[in-house]
Amino acid sequence: MKFYLLLTIWILLTFLTGCSKKEIGSHSETSQTHIIEIKQMKFVPSQIVVSPGDSIRWINRDIVAHNVAEEASTDWKSPDLKTGESFAIKIQKEQSYLCTLHPVMKGKIELKGD
Amino acid sequence: MKTLIPFILLSTILLSVLTLNTNAQNSDQFNDAEIAAIAVTANDIDIKYAEIAKEKSKNEEILNFANTMINDHTAVINQAVELVNKLGVEPQPNSLSKKLNEDAQATREMLQGKSGRSFDKAYIENEVTYHKAVIDAVRNVLIPDTENNELKELLEVVLPALETHLEHAEKIQKSVVG
Repeated sequence: MKFYLLLTIWILLTFLTGCSKKEIGSHSETSQTHIIEIKQMKFVPSQIVVSPGDSIRWINRDIVAHNVAEEASTDWKSPDLKTGESFAIKIQKEQSYLCTLHPVMKGKIELKGD
Repeated sequence: MKTLIPFILLSTILLSVLTLNTNAQNSDQFNDAEIAAIAVTANDIDIKYAEIAKEKSKNEEILNFANTMINDHTAVINQAVELVNKLGVEPQPNSLSKKLNEDAQATREMLQGKSGRSFDKAYIENEVTYHKAVIDAVRNVLIPDTENNELKELLEVVLPALETHLEHAEKIQKSVVG
């Protein structure tokens, strides 16, 4: 009985966590996930240095919606993120990104060793 | 006449801000319920400008900007309404919120009378002027006058959004006006 209760809680937690997160790419065992907060209409930090294969997760802390998109060719773009929602992508190359809803909000990802 | 329109718009908005400052300097300052009404009115006015833009413009930059204005200002109004409900405060219409609405009605009529590139130019010029005036009012009058800390915090959170809107509008203005 206790086992089924714990299993139900685990399934619910997994579902609820998954609902607020959107992700492109997969994780390897050794990769790191870096957090960039979107707050007060800025990406914080706006510039970050990561290793190839690391992931970046953007979390929207603002009261307005934001998104994140690769700037030069729009290779990738997140859905619109409401307050508290997040989006992650695996990084293989250096790139600049922006919020297409507020195009003056920009950020940059650099690779270690470049 | 065309060159006079931005001047008339700027004068109208500056007059509203001047009224705001004058009221704030009098002993009859705005209370939190009146400040909440001013905040909701100012956001609602910009939503209505954006709705006209969506109806009249074909310029992609203008349309994207208008969508962002509708979404962002709606989010701010929702936060403000949620907060005043929590605080049990009823937004109280006042001389300034009424003046803002009257001026906005005149601006909407001016925008409705335009089309094509002339509309795009007038809309984005108004957005630049309007956001400058609202930023000034929020920073120098509404935030200092607000007594409730949660309402003050909300106004402080809104300020960077208004500044980003202004920067965005100025960028579009350069490409539309040339």
